[in-house]
Amino acid sequence: VTATPDPLIHPITRLSICGLLAAGADWVEFAALRDAAGISDSVLSKQSRVLEDAGYVEVRKGAVGRRPRTWFRLTAGGRQAVQGHLAWLAQLEETVSAGTRDARQAGHLPGDRDQPASEPEFGELPGKGPALVVTSSGGGRAPRQIHHVDTERVD
Amino acid sequence: MMHDVPGDPAALEQLRVQRSRLADRMRWPWWYQSGLAIFWALAFACPFLTHGVRIWPILIGAVAVACLLQWGLVRATGIKMATPTLLYPASGRPARIAMIVGALAALEAEFLLIRHGLTVTAIVVATLAVVAEMACQQVQLRGIRQGLRGGGGAA
Repeated sequence: VTATPDPLIHPITRLSICGLLAAGADWVEFAALRDAAGISDSVLSKQSRVLEDAGYVEVRKGAVGRRPRTWFRLTAGGRQAVQGHLAWLAQLEETVSAGTRDARQAGHLPGDRDQPASEPEFGELPGKGPALVVTSSGGGRAPRQIHHVDTERVD
Repeated sequence: MMHDVPGDPAALEQLRVQRSRLADRMRWPWWYQSGLAIFWALAFACPFLTHGVRIWPILIGAVAVACLLQWGLVRATGIKMATPTLLYPASGRPARIAMIVGALAALEAEFLLIRHGLTVTAIVVATLAVVAEMACQQVQLRGIRQGLRGGGGAA
């Protein structure tokens, strides 16, 4: 899996939906997904439509008696994109924890005011698209902020 | 658009919590466990049938009960797992193999004991086999839940 950020999955709500659908289940029902993600019906409806339009999620609608039932699952393309994005996030997490570890080893606690703040930068990796570069200065100090590709609020 | 927003690793942590919530939904209702016990009891009762009784109606009935139970479980939990094979999913694979080997061994032992006139011992073997199969299914369920928590390999 190539660790690549996906701007469509990046907003937290869509990341939750896709991450849950990629957890290992084949199909997940609307209520189960809503409860696990901790979001409202309307947010799930809206975001699932965005993901469906992008071809990341497949939706199957049915009914049990008079109650409508909607089921979701990731498409093959959606699964690939989610796995790439999650791998990218995991790398990011690893970078941050390594930075924190380095800072501890160097004897500086994160948040020290006498050290200049290090700023992560976004850049382009040749052939790999956008990438996050976490820079560290001031004796291996941990970075304070993580930059998002897109911070569009969705709920 | 790229803004400074902290919290990418936090998003990954939140996803872990959400997946844990989804995995917690994967619990068997009482009727499913009772149905499973009946299914296995029917299966291990087959060697006791005398030659005059047809085995096919019982087998078809057992398969119908299993399908009905599975259908009910999917609707109750809101999670549909892919059809398991001997190798997929990786979580709970040892329990699945143990179930198949255990069932074959118990059936063979029952046939052997009945042929030698040891009916009471055969009944004990059948009862123990039902208990063992139920225990294996519980282990398998725990594996499925663990897989859902871990994200099925996706970060």
